[in-house]
Amino acid sequence: MEHLIELFAPLYVQRALLAGVFSGALLAILGIFVALRKMAFFSDGIAHTSLTGVAIAVLLGQQPLAWAVGVGVVFAVLIYLLEKKTDIAPDSLIGILFTSSLALGVVLMNFKKGYQPDLLSFLFGNILTIRSEELRVIIPLSVVIGGFMVVRYRRYLLICLNEELSKVAGVWLEVHKLSLYVMLAVASILAIKMFGIILVSALLILPVSFGKLFARSARSLLVISMIFAEVIVVGGVALSLWRDLPTAATIVLTGTVLFVCGMAFSRLGGAE
Amino acid sequence: MSYVDIHDVGVTFGGNPILRNVTFNVDKAEVVSIIGPNGSGKTTLIRAMLGLIEHRGNVLLAGRPLRHQMERVGYVPQRFDFDRTFPLSVQEFLALAVKKADGEWRDEVLREFSVRPLLRQKLGTLSGGQMQRVLIASALMKQPEVMMLDEPTSGVDVEGVASFYELVRHINKEHEITVFLVSHEVNMVFKTSTKVVCLNKDLVCCGDPRKVITTEILDKLYGPDHELRVHDHSH
Repeated sequence: MEHLIELFAPLYVQRALLAGVFSGALLAILGIFVALRKMAFFSDGIAHTSLTGVAIAVLLGQQPLAWAVGVGVVFAVLIYLLEKKTDIAPDSLIGILFTSSLALGVVLMNFKKGYQPDLLSFLFGNILTIRSEELRVIIPLSVVIGGFMVVRYRRYLLICLNEELSKVAGVWLEVHKLSLYVMLAVASILAIKMFGIILVSALLILPVSFGKLFARSARSLLVISMIFAEVIVVGGVALSLWRDLPTAATIVLTGTVLFVCGMAFSRLGGAE
Repeated sequence: MSYVDIHDVGVTFGGNPILRNVTFNVDKAEVVSIIGPNGSGKTTLIRAMLGLIEHRGNVLLAGRPLRHQMERVGYVPQRFDFDRTFPLSVQEFLALAVKKADGEWRDEVLREFSVRPLLRQKLGTLSGGQMQRVLIASALMKQPEVMMLDEPTSGVDVEGVASFYELVRHINKEHEITVFLVSHEVNMVFKTSTKVVCLNKDLVCCGDPRKVITTEILDKLYGPDHELRVHDHSH
């Protein structure tokens, strides 16, 4: 215990834990809708599109996070509009947009000579480098979006479950769909500094996948997913500091190990 | 003025007409069965009436567009596809579409459709018949004035079908709900409906089923090789 307190004592570790706990909870909530609507590829794609934003910020010498969020939101709206107005399959649409944006980011980065620490931290994530000013963006946005989603949980569940029934129930389907896309883009991109463009979708998928093994209702799924996210963030950070391992990757692997254990437990009859 | 006016409704997909100039009227508390062969536009008509697809013409409920009065309409879709591994309880599902159902009404619906024992079960574990009962109970939760049931007995066994039509008669008689029913069970249509709408892209017939469903009409709808028989209901 003493050793753990010692590990968590430095300010940069506390900042990392705070950012991870808030962002992890938000991604766990949104992950439920991602699973129900089968949108894992969307969130993965949106995270990748943010590289263009990071590249623009690096060239202009500005805050990468703000640019990444801005570009991500633009792409989320673009995907929503093209899905609505064209006959292109959503998977193809997302694939075209995210690879194009990734390619644009790489080309833009080419104009900036020398080592790019920001680029690497956005690609693979480094939760231990979270700054106070980033924390001041991540925490309020996570609270606002997460709180909104919990309050409107039933509405979003209905549109993800069946669009026609939600229309007949009088839900403003298109407004809810677009807002889900935008919130998912913001949440994914807020988290890429911590977990990386490549690993961020694991934080959306693992908690809900674990939760589905044990939950008997949508409400218990929400609770289990959020607890799971917090456990893997705190556990992963502690483990990475203790064994000097890359933090984001350790968080994801902690989640994978717990998920596999959960699956084995539920198969053995521990859960119905 | 009729309670529900369907006027000149037409639907086209990719240049192909699915439904052409369908016009009929329905009075309050009628049971309207929509029959016709596969691909005749039955589901399309229901979806057009609800404003779920683009269409020509007007659908009015008590003189105003029906699609702007969804709070007065309950709907049970023909197919309800969802992720069956998702742990949504029946109780939660029933609460999704209605903010707060009237307690007495909710209890009555749960009892009439035998849904109470299923409340704690996960939606994805229900059988076809149980799922239909839950879907209908869900549509009834908001105390609709109009119910639209699109092939509500698909996946339900023979006994279940008979008891289902009994329930339709009950909600229609006791609660004065106007019911639109897409159906393949012509015999049940005779027993249950006050009006039948026969579709084959065009409106083939409309009226009292005992009067309008004739061997000629069935031949026109299903072709000369169909095995449906017009029953004598005069006795």
